[in-house]
Amino acid sequence: MLTATFRSMVAHKLRLLLTTASIALGVALLAGTLILTNTMGIAFDMLFGKIGSGTDTVVRAEAPFTQTEGVGTNRGPIAASVLDQVKKVDGVRAAEGTVQGYALLTDTHGKAITTNGGAPTNGYSMPSDEELRGDVELLSGHAPTNAHEVAIDATSAEDHDIALGSSIKVLFQGPTQEFTVVGTIGYGDGIKDLGGTTSAYFDPATAQKVLGTPGAFDQINVSAADGVSQAELADRISDVIPAGTEAVTGKAVAEENADATKQNFSIVGILFGIFAGIALFVGSFIIWNTFTMTVTQRSREIALLRAIGARRRQVMSSLLLEALGLGLFASAVGFGLGIGVAKGLKWLMDAVGFALPFTSLQIEASQVWISLAVGVGVTVVAALVPARRATKVLPIEALRESTPGAEKSSKLRAVIGLAVIAAGAGALWASLYADGGMKLFGLGLGAAMVGVIIALPVAVRPLAAAIATPLRLRGLPGELAKQNAARNPRRTSATAAALMIGLTLVVSMGVFASSLKASFGDVLSDRVDADLYVVTSSAQAPGYSPSVLAAVKGVDGVDEVSANGWGQARFDGQDSGFSSIDPGNADEVLALNVEKGSLADLGKDDVMVARSAAKEHGWKVGDTVTAEFAESGKHQLHVAAVYEGKGWISDDFVVSRAAQEALAGPQLVSNAFVTIDAGADRAEVQDAIAAALADHPDAKVLDRAGFEKEASGFIDQLLTFMTVMLALAVMIALLGIVNTLALSVFERTRELGLLRAVGMTRSQVRAMVRWESAVISLIGAVSGAALGIGIGLAMSQILKDEGIKSISIPVLQIAVYVAVAAAAGVLAAVGPARSAAKVDVLKAVVTD
Amino acid sequence: MSLTTTLSPQQATFPGTPAPAARAVGVTKQYGAGDATVAALDDVSVDLDRGRFTAIMGPSGSGKSTLLHMLAGLDRPTSGEVYLGDTEITSLRDKRLTMLRRDRIGFIFQSFNLLPTMTAAENIVLPMRIAGRRPDPDWVAAIVQTVGLDGRLGHRPSQLSGGQQQRVAAARALASRPEIVFADEPTGALDSRSGTELLRFLRTAVDELAQTVVMVTHDPTAAAYADRVLFLADGHIVDEMHDPSAEAVLDYMKNLGA
Repeated sequence: MLTATFRSMVAHKLRLLLTTASIALGVALLAGTLILTNTMGIAFDMLFGKIGSGTDTVVRAEAPFTQTEGVGTNRGPIAASVLDQVKKVDGVRAAEGTVQGYALLTDTHGKAITTNGGAPTNGYSMPSDEELRGDVELLSGHAPTNAHEVAIDATSAEDHDIALGSSIKVLFQGPTQEFTVVGTIGYGDGIKDLGGTTSAYFDPATAQKVLGTPGAFDQINVSAADGVSQAELADRISDVIPAGTEAVTGKAVAEENADATKQNFSIVGILFGIFAGIALFVGSFIIWNTFTMTVTQRSREIALLRAIGARRRQVMSSLLLEALGLGLFASAVGFGLGIGVAKGLKWLMDAVGFALPFTSLQIEASQVWISLAVGVGVTVVAALVPARRATKVLPIEALRESTPGAEKSSKLRAVIGLAVIAAGAGALWASLYADGGMKLFGLGLGAAMVGVIIALPVAVRPLAAAIATPLRLRGLPGELAKQNAARNPRRTSATAAALMIGLTLVVSMGVFASSLKASFGDVLSDRVDADLYVVTSSAQAPGYSPSVLAAVKGVDGVDEVSANGWGQARFDGQDSGFSSIDPGNADEVLALNVEKGSLADLGKDDVMVARSAAKEHGWKVGDTVTAEFAESGKHQLHVAAVYEGKGWISDDFVVSRAAQEALAGPQLVSNAFVTIDAGADRAEVQDAIAAALADHPDAKVLDRAGFEKEASGFIDQLLTFMTVMLALAVMIALLGIVNTLALSVFERTRELGLLRAVGMTRSQVRAMVRWESAVISLIGAVSGAALGIGIGLAMSQILKDEGIKSISIPVLQIAVYVAVAAAAGVLAAVGPARSAAKVDVLKAVVTD
Repeated sequence: MSLTTTLSPQQATFPGTPAPAARAVGVTKQYGAGDATVAALDDVSVDLDRGRFTAIMGPSGSGKSTLLHMLAGLDRPTSGEVYLGDTEITSLRDKRLTMLRRDRIGFIFQSFNLLPTMTAAENIVLPMRIAGRRPDPDWVAAIVQTVGLDGRLGHRPSQLSGGQQQRVAAARALASRPEIVFADEPTGALDSRSGTELLRFLRTAVDELAQTVVMVTHDPTAAAYADRVLFLADGHIVDEMHDPSAEAVLDYMKNLGA
């Protein structure tokens, strides 16, 4: 039987190629997304994990609470005196205080070195102990030893031609300083940057000055002497350090970082997960179809084997062996292609400006195993059913040609599907009103999608009828196309599902992005009254140095400069974001609509609350609110004013920028509004500010139009990313459509022959197949668009508190998506339509 | 009932009589190449009279189905010419030939005559729908009544018996008023009662509607419904019979086989 299996495989080269290609493709997409996701995960891991690898115990200030956003936890500094205490502990081999903070590198021309995807630009103190450096290693030059020296990551040095000995400016939260580059840094294994970030290293004393607080450290890293375990060391140190500080093992810190990374990474992970899911779904569907086709084609061969005495089990195992071999081979090929897919996706995302922290492709054994197991598993399972069917057939029946009849859609399916959709919709609805609604929202979303997929076969017929109404104009080919599309509802819906999921994703994000943009535009025109805007030079940077504000203020023609900041704290026991403003002039540029109290009273111990929060907690002007800051602990703030809580500033809590500096340490500025003197020329003032900012490469000045464009830049990135997702989803779906059509054409050979015999021309046959494909695609596209609009609206609604005030459905854009999907369907039909038109009339109609 | 020798095409088309419905002139069909060449038809010439029912008979491999396919424009001869009325069809391009089949020829195959997704009524008007023409409702109604399909028109093929399916096929073949109807073993897959009904219908179509019918069959009883029987053997027309009876055809076939 083995010989028969092998001979049969070789004898049908084309079929072998088709099957191999479809398995390989499915696996390639899976492997590609696995590799890419893992690589980006590792990029994040590196950022937070690698530096600490040589540290056994970390001494740090206790965090009052864990912040809900961002990676890691902001903590207060730890006094330098603690270091002396720690050093005396038995079992400590080495201990050093470390400091980390914002440091934006510039190239030798003074231009800021910005990063992709919001990757941080950090400065660090360079440990002098080799082991405490962890994976940080000098690739060239030497470590910084004085206040004028810096070592930078090798990627920044190479990409921007910064040679050792050259002089560059580095921007901090405090004043900008000039340094001589004395070394380049790598991270082991040839890695030259920390997951797409930039890094600057200073000697500890300088780091304290430029990154943190003189006389204090962020944390103390300790290396244990031989024979002392991490836990033991941490215990011993815990005994001597003052209250408010803690000693934790290096392992525990690494785990904290890993958890934080996972959280930060989850959305990208989910997006790619959905993507791999689509790929796998389409891939297994293609394999299923292909095996159905090949087994049918071979039914006579199988019948012959059975007739000459092969037992059912022998035939069955022969087929499964074939599937196994094929699956293994094709999966291996697919994994190879997957590396290319990962590279291509990465390139694509870079090309559209949606870059993510990234390092060189990380290929691991687990990815290989997963890809192979899934590829082989899916192939074997997909082959199992057709193989069973083939071996069950009596040898003589194999000679009889059967036509696939119309399959009945089940009522049960409709009921279950609708029930699941209803449950999902209920969860979505509930999530709009529940606390922590995002989880419920995700659950509802998932349920709604699953329900739609279950119920779709039942809806295929009515959908096909509705969609095909305009096709009637095309006469009989159109009519037949509609009937054929609705003929095998389960197959049609499975084919359309890939497109549906893709469009749901893209359209929902489109509605969301469009609503976001509309909201932003509305707020800007209704609530902001400024002449010029000073923003970060790179849209993704966290902010710019406050020294920029002084520079702008000094420009002739500038009247007022009002800056905004942002932070996180715990108010009255609840974690919340807050805004910071300049109380002296904020109401000149922003319509804050203060309802009670006065903005002028917003001092260092005061807070302004939004009307809704005031109402909820019963706060009045003069009341006290407990606010807890990670950096400085608990404070009692007086309610100085109550404002509307809508508009450019919409947080529940607003403090003065001075208060934020006092309570949470030095701060970067998010943006600043500038008004000009009466009679001054705006363009001239803008030019003057731009000139003044030459020494501040972290900031730039924009007019209203520029600001609007800049601020919606991330939305445009989102839209571009969606377009890429659509393109990929459509491409994958296309393969499924081609495959389904090929199968259908193959199954309907006799019908096609009959149609040709009684007078259907080749071009009519081609049109028929094309229209069928268009109908299938449109079923997917239209249901996906409808679902996407619903989800997008729900998403906008749930984020109403986060600043989405206006809801906007991008009708034209969605229409284009649907049209693209239909066009893709027509394109997919080119090959199958050709083979349908080439059907040999005689072979099809003559019974032998 | 008379037994005559084969007529040459020149003899059949003497002036004064209307041109035949279809005509084969020196048609040869070869399969394979070189030493492996097999001739399914070897220099066959024949006229098929308008308004008559012609049966083509012969043993398996005699070339009878091949001849029908050539005449019906479903296949192209290796050499020779085929005329439908005055139209020489072997030189036609695929599109013209397809349209000619659609507009001027009716087909009944042995099985699989109908599109499974369409009702009987839709199948009957299929060629006209393909052409984008509106069928003549009175004519279609008359055909349907003659075939005896009243009340079954809304059914799909899977809901019809084999005999009913073949009657739908026959109705379709006649519905577009073709110049000629080709039937390839139309009763081959039917029980004898259904077969008889179908043959009676074809006979009626010839007698009452002046339809031209050409039928390939291996069944002498079926051949007996024809006005004229052509006998094929080894790719040649070896003989023909006018106004045949089943017994005479059977006897002749026995001789042919012997």
